[in-house]
Amino acid sequence: MLIHYTFSVFNKRKLLLILSVTTGLFVPENVQAQNDSVRLEPVTVRGFAPERFMSGLKVQKIDSSALSNFHFQNISDLLSLYTPLAFKNYGHGQLNTVSFRGTSANHTAVLWNGLNINSPILGQTDFSTIPVAGFDELSVQYGSAASIVGSDAVGGSILLGSTAPAQSLHLSIGRQQESFNNSQTQLTAQYGKVINPKYTFSGKTSAYDGRIRNEYPYTERRKYAMLPSETFQRGLVQDLFLQSENGRELSAHIWITENNLTLTPKDTAGREQTFTKAYRTMIRYQYKAFTFRTSWVRDIIDYAKGDLSRPDHAVTDKFANRLERDFKLTLKNNSSIQIKAGGEWTYYRAQVAGYISPVNSENRGDLYVLTRLQATTRLLVSVNLRQAFITRYNPPFTPSLGAEYYLIRNPDYNLKFKGSVGKSYRVPTLNERYWKDLGNPDIKPENGWNKEIGFEQNYLPDNQNSFYTSLTAYHNRIKDWTYWNASRNYRVENLQQVLAKGIELQAGWKNNLAAWKSGANISYALNKSTQEKAYDAYSIDVIGKQLVFVPVHTGSFIAFVQHNHTRLTAQFQTTSKRFATFDNSQYLNGFMLANLLAETTFDLSKVKLRFQGQINNISDTFYLNVRNNAMPGRSFAVSLIISYQSPDKIKYFL
Amino acid sequence: MNKQLIRLAVTASFSSFLWSCNQSDPAPKGDYVQGIFVINEGNFSQNNGAISFFTREQTTSEADIFTTVNGAPANGGIQGYAEVGERGVILVDNSASGLDKAVIVNSNTFETVTTIGASEIENPREIVAAGNKVYISCWGSNSDYSYKTGYIAVIELPSNRFVKKININSGPENLVYNNGKLYVGTVSYGGGKMLTVINTSTDEIEKTVTLNAAPSPIGIDANGKLWVNVGTQAIRMNTETYAEEATLAIGTNPSKSASNFVFSSDRKTIFFVLSYSDANFVSHGETYKFGITDAQIDVNTPFIKRIFTGLSVDPSQGLIYAAVTPSYAQAGYAVRYRTDGSLVDSVKVGVAPTGFFFK
Repeated sequence: MLIHYTFSVFNKRKLLLILSVTTGLFVPENVQAQNDSVRLEPVTVRGFAPERFMSGLKVQKIDSSALSNFHFQNISDLLSLYTPLAFKNYGHGQLNTVSFRGTSANHTAVLWNGLNINSPILGQTDFSTIPVAGFDELSVQYGSAASIVGSDAVGGSILLGSTAPAQSLHLSIGRQQESFNNSQTQLTAQYGKVINPKYTFSGKTSAYDGRIRNEYPYTERRKYAMLPSETFQRGLVQDLFLQSENGRELSAHIWITENNLTLTPKDTAGREQTFTKAYRTMIRYQYKAFTFRTSWVRDIIDYAKGDLSRPDHAVTDKFANRLERDFKLTLKNNSSIQIKAGGEWTYYRAQVAGYISPVNSENRGDLYVLTRLQATTRLLVSVNLRQAFITRYNPPFTPSLGAEYYLIRNPDYNLKFKGSVGKSYRVPTLNERYWKDLGNPDIKPENGWNKEIGFEQNYLPDNQNSFYTSLTAYHNRIKDWTYWNASRNYRVENLQQVLAKGIELQAGWKNNLAAWKSGANISYALNKSTQEKAYDAYSIDVIGKQLVFVPVHTGSFIAFVQHNHTRLTAQFQTTSKRFATFDNSQYLNGFMLANLLAETTFDLSKVKLRFQGQINNISDTFYLNVRNNAMPGRSFAVSLIISYQSPDKIKYFL
Repeated sequence: MNKQLIRLAVTASFSSFLWSCNQSDPAPKGDYVQGIFVINEGNFSQNNGAISFFTREQTTSEADIFTTVNGAPANGGIQGYAEVGERGVILVDNSASGLDKAVIVNSNTFETVTTIGASEIENPREIVAAGNKVYISCWGSNSDYSYKTGYIAVIELPSNRFVKKININSGPENLVYNNGKLYVGTVSYGGGKMLTVINTSTDEIEKTVTLNAAPSPIGIDANGKLWVNVGTQAIRMNTETYAEEATLAIGTNPSKSASNFVFSSDRKTIFFVLSYSDANFVSHGETYKFGITDAQIDVNTPFIKRIFTGLSVDPSQGLIYAAVTPSYAQAGYAVRYRTDGSLVDSVKVGVAPTGFFFK
């Protein structure tokens, strides 16, 4: 099927373009067939991959061996080692929020198969509730990508994905036993079958159960208290894929997760329980160049103190629909443009005890055009445009421009220059808009400009070794930064302006020599994130100071050596001091943590047994969380995964 | 043999006793023998309260002397501090249940002596010294915020003995001690209207006085009269009969609330903060004063055109120490004023200062 489309609209105004292209989706093709100057062909692109339009931005894909190492841990354990993301941790198994490139917890978009799963009332994700077992693929996109993924992507985005399984049958059961009477159990089944010559069906069913009891043998470390807490986490993941020979693909995704955290559980009068549940569902239908996605997410938070039978109950529903169309345009000199035009409509409904009305609802819409121009073999350019629409609200028009250029491109060495400039915005959370008295219906969306440049090089001196280096510098100014202002009884206001700027260096080496494999990754980030404007007579103490809980320096080093099926991994991470107050008068000391992992797999043809032993915080380092309580010292974990895999691959239609 | 040894030991100790009596009374040794202690509540969820210290001559403070001396912070919001001789008692309120405590320190060095934990001290509010004891108002667990679990905790010093709990309903808060009597007020939102009087020799409730709102005892004036803030009134009371001898209205605007009452060093003047929040939750107001024999309180002429989160008067110099909290996420200030309301200087202290202890 070919769609003829006038290309001259590119000369018109930006907004008009978005409207034209996206409304063009719904217009019969013959109406469009007029004055063809260039032909736009539809193109089928499988998967969720918004990364394709992120040229000029840094995107880091976490490899499957790293995901496998962290199979029983939560995503923040992995990200704090593999990326410079800083976490604001309240304790093991407790609230853990992110600061991406020096921004706040509200400035990281967390996308599950392309859908933003940040809590609509809080505008952030508690990373302690996202186990690595909940997804198949993980990419980290640095810097503002609001034109591509929408609200919240100010500091960066975390992209979680489900992938169709490769093997016709794969079953696994795993159990990890940890110090302090903590444990994790997981069950996974992946399956698939060619139903008839035209259809392939596949799927994954996975369940996980984590019990973090934190029964520390000590009540304090260096006179700092260990706060008693326990967390019970359960989840179910269900992915189904139906694919046809003629370019149709239907997939359904469900991710249900429960996280029950209790502070001081033995103190029946004073214990505090936060029970969160998330029901995430999605149906995605792709027919050639069209993609339709519908999703429904319900987030529930129950909070109770003392008597747990009558918690404060908050429910939010998010019903989102999206239609996209991909085009490909081949120009005369063999350069090509890929275009994704789409529209999204989302309905929010919140029932929260503290809100202005018992039920608050709003509609949000987005229209966008994403482009990727492969101008020459060396030059890649992306121009992305987005306009969001919100009930009683005006989010800013959000464009971005990114480019990548190979300065050197040889078979054994390449050096690439990257650059990007993009607008970002964050739609205020439902709490910020609807909380009675303290919320502010007139609060403005935060917005900013992110600029970055970087170099990436790959060097393959021989068949055994490969080296990778990337260096990025960024400058991200965010205006109308919101703040729950303590001096106004915690009312929310657009009070601050923040400039986050820094440098990131990442380097990797891999060696592959017959039975031996080894590799190392090193990463360092410098981040200065300072307040440029603040609000009252005493703001002189605050302006120019580093933001709270954002370390200036972070670094990590990971090295592994593997012989056949046995692997030894060492992990180090270091964080400089983190300020605890806006005037930097108080801070938590910097620290370095080291972990050691050893694993071996016994391959009994179809059945595999993977044993893993882990020593965390091997040097028994003392460090503190944001509550000013001590974090645990050295701990141990052992795990076993038994898996069965049939050798038959599933045949998919390309 | 044994008897001889004992005799020798007794003789030796007796002579050393005589020798020590021979010395002139030694001056107490320590870094905190004389000066101003600032009570900083901190930001509740960060458990970063602290006691700051400076001498009367200094214009900069040590932000957190407990951490400096003991190598780890008190681990909570600091609610109060009182001393009995060489013992100081710090009230620590942690954001999590079960971690509240009273830390007993050497009052001159601030080294920790011992800690009395959450089963005795839960949600501590205020502390006052009386003889060789301290009295601490506590809300108890109060997990449903109905203010039914409150009590006064009694600790004897220097034995560090926890004496007892005296149950007080409705959220016990401000405490005033005078002449064998402890006057206990409650928080305005606790639902109570009773001033409780505790006999400190028996540690039993001696009397309860019912008023028309939650009472907050202010102190004893130069004439030996008890002053109590009750809603929008200041009441002068006889300490024997509890008869109201004078009732002064604090303005006529019910949306304004009065707080931080404190006596001048001669106990003839009372200073207080009168504040209100506007529609945008910005606090406004001023600081006023009145005399103990005034017929009315003038709320048209501010004494200082500012509000404070704490107000105290240094009994030895008479200067007014006012606490300023710009926000819960940055350091506050201790601002010094003369008794005529003129500004002396300001000293940066810890996060959210609310009170002062002078010695």
